[in-house]
Amino acid sequence: MKKTVKLKKKLAHSKRYSLISFEKRRSLEGLVFSIPWLLGFIGFVLIPLVLSVRISFFQTVLTDLYGFQGTSKFVGINNYVKVIQDPAVGQTVFESFGLSLAKVPVIVAFSLFVAVLLKQKFPGRTLFRVIFFIPVILAGTIMTYLFRDGVGQMSVFSSITTGVQGVNTFFGTVMSNIGSIMWASSVEILIFLAALQSVPATLYEVVEIDGASAWESFWHVTLPYISPFVILNCIYALVDSFVASDNPVMSIMNSMTQTGTKYGQASALSWLYMLATLAVILIFILFTRRWLK
Amino acid sequence: MKLKPAKAAAEGSASAVETKQKKKFFEGGVKGLIKKYENLGYKAKKKVYHFISRLFIYFVLIEMAYLFILPFIYIFSTSLMSSQDYMDPTVQYIPTSVNWTNFVKAYQALDYIKSFFNSMGTSLLSALFQTVSCALIGYSLGRYKFRGRNLLFLLVVLVLLIPPQVMILASYGMWAELHMVNTWGPVVLPTVFGLGLRGALFVMIYMYFFQRIPSVMDDAARIDGAGPLRVFGIIMLPLVKSAIAIVFIFSFVWHWNDNYEAPTYMYLEGKQTLQPRLANIQNYFNKYASSQMMSELDKALSEPMLFAGCLMVMIPVLIVYIVGQKQLAAGIERIGVIE
Repeated sequence: MKKTVKLKKKLAHSKRYSLISFEKRRSLEGLVFSIPWLLGFIGFVLIPLVLSVRISFFQTVLTDLYGFQGTSKFVGINNYVKVIQDPAVGQTVFESFGLSLAKVPVIVAFSLFVAVLLKQKFPGRTLFRVIFFIPVILAGTIMTYLFRDGVGQMSVFSSITTGVQGVNTFFGTVMSNIGSIMWASSVEILIFLAALQSVPATLYEVVEIDGASAWESFWHVTLPYISPFVILNCIYALVDSFVASDNPVMSIMNSMTQTGTKYGQASALSWLYMLATLAVILIFILFTRRWLK
Repeated sequence: MKLKPAKAAAEGSASAVETKQKKKFFEGGVKGLIKKYENLGYKAKKKVYHFISRLFIYFVLIEMAYLFILPFIYIFSTSLMSSQDYMDPTVQYIPTSVNWTNFVKAYQALDYIKSFFNSMGTSLLSALFQTVSCALIGYSLGRYKFRGRNLLFLLVVLVLLIPPQVMILASYGMWAELHMVNTWGPVVLPTVFGLGLRGALFVMIYMYFFQRIPSVMDDAARIDGAGPLRVFGIIMLPLVKSAIAIVFIFSFVWHWNDNYEAPTYMYLEGKQTLQPRLANIQNYFNKYASSQMMSELDKALSEPMLFAGCLMVMIPVLIVYIVGQKQLAAGIERIGVIE
C-alpha cells in the first residue's frame, strides 16, 4: 500500500516536472549555468570579505589572523580611528584621488580619439590596432621599469626629448606623463572601438544627406549613441587607477602588512579606501545617470 | 643638330606652362585654394576631403605608434649593450658591440627554468579555466531571464569593483589554513569558478557577446530537441569564437604579468613566478658584483642585464600575442558589430 502511494507521489512529481512551464524551465537552466560562479563567489570573495572585516576589528598576530584562538586582541574601531587620524595616510589618499580624477578625463578623451581614428577604413588599419595593444603585453614589472623616474634613472619616454641620459627636463616629465596616459588606455580603446562599431551606418548616411560635416556627425550622432560607453570607460579608468599597484595608497597598505603587526590597520585602511572609491563611483554614476540610457 | 634648339624650346615652353599652372594653382594663397575647393563638385570635394583626412590619420597614428614601439626598441637595444656602453652617453640605441653575457646573467638571476615553469603553469591553466568558466556565467547572464538575474549581475559588477588589496590578507590566511600557500592553488582554483584575476571583466565580455546572438539560433536548436548543454556547446560557443580568443589571450597575458597576487601567494625560492624574480633582478646581480651593498653604480651597471631579463620574460607573451593576433584582431573587428 505504502509503496503504491510513494510511487504515485513520485509519478505525480515527475508529471509536474514535465508539465513545468517553458519559462520556468528556462529560468531554471539559467540558474544552473550560474551555480559554479555563485559557489566560487561565496568561497573566494564573500568569505574573505567577511574575514577581512573581522581582521579590521582586531589587533592581530599572524598565527591567529582571524582572532578565533584568542591570542589576537579585539580593539573595536580603534584601527579605523588610527588610520583616519594618521595625517600621512589622509594626505596620500587625497593626493591619489586627485591624481586619478585628473587622469581619467584625459585617458578617456585620448582613447576615444584613437578609437575614432582606428575605426576609419584605411590600409594598415589592423596593424595599427595591434600596435595599440602592446601595453597589455608589457604590463606588470616591465612597465614599472619603463616608467620609473629616479635619480640617474629615467623613463624611456622622457629620454625621447632629452637625448643625454640621466638628465630629467621639464619636457621629459611631460613626455613621461603622456606616455603613461597612452599606455593606460588600451582596454578603453578596445571598448570604444566596440561601441563605435555598434553605431548603425544608416544614421551616418542620413545626416550626410542632410549635409552634416564629419565634425557635426561626430557630435550629434556618434557621441550621443556611445554615451553609455563613455561613462563605462570613465568608471573602468577610475577603478583601474584606484587599484593600480603603483598607487601610493596601495604601497602604504603593503608596507603595513610587511612590518607584521599592523594587519588590522591595513584591513581597516583597505576597507575605508574601498568604501571611498565606491562612493566616488556612485556619485559619478548619479551625476551621469541621464547619459547612461 | 637642328633638333637641339627645338627641343630646348619645347622644354622651355613646357616649363613655362608648368610655372604658369603652378602660379594658377597658388593664385590667391590659401583663400584661393579654399575658394577652388568650394567650387569643386560633390564627388571631387569628397575625394579631396578623403585624401586630407587619410593624411591626417596616418600622421597622427604613426606619431603615436612610435611611442608604443619605442620601448620595445629600447629594451632590445639595451639588453645587447655592455655596461660600459650603457653608461656612455654617446652610445644611443646602437651598442658598440653585441654583448650576449647579459642574457646568461639574467638567465641565472631569474632562475629561469623553474620560474618559467611556474609562470607558464599558472597562466596557462588559469587562462584555460577562465575561458570555460566565465563563458558559463556569461551565457547565463546574457541569454537567460530568471529571478535574481539582476542581483547576480550586480554581484559581478561588485567583484569587478573590489580592489584585490581588500581581500588579499584574508585570502592569504585562508589559503594558509588550507596549506596551499606556495602552490599553484590560490591562483588557479578561483579561475575554475569564473573568478580569479579580472574574472568579472571576462564575464562581462562574454555576456556582451552572447547577448548579441539572435534568439532564432537557439530557438531552432531547441525545437529540434537539443538540450541546454548541447545548445550551449554546439550552437552558442562556436558563435562567440572571437570572444573566446579575446578572453584567452587577455587572461593568459594578465596572469603572466601579474605582479601582485601570484607573488604574494608564491614567495618561496623555487616556487616564484617570473615577475617577482624580475622585480628583484638587480639584487641578484649583486651576487656577481664585488661589493655587498647595492650601490647606485651597481644598479646602473646591472641595467643591461635587467632589460635582457625583461626581454626573456616578454618572449612567451609575445609569441601568444603574435599567434593569436589574427583572432584577436578579428574579435576586435567583430565586437559590437550588429548582424
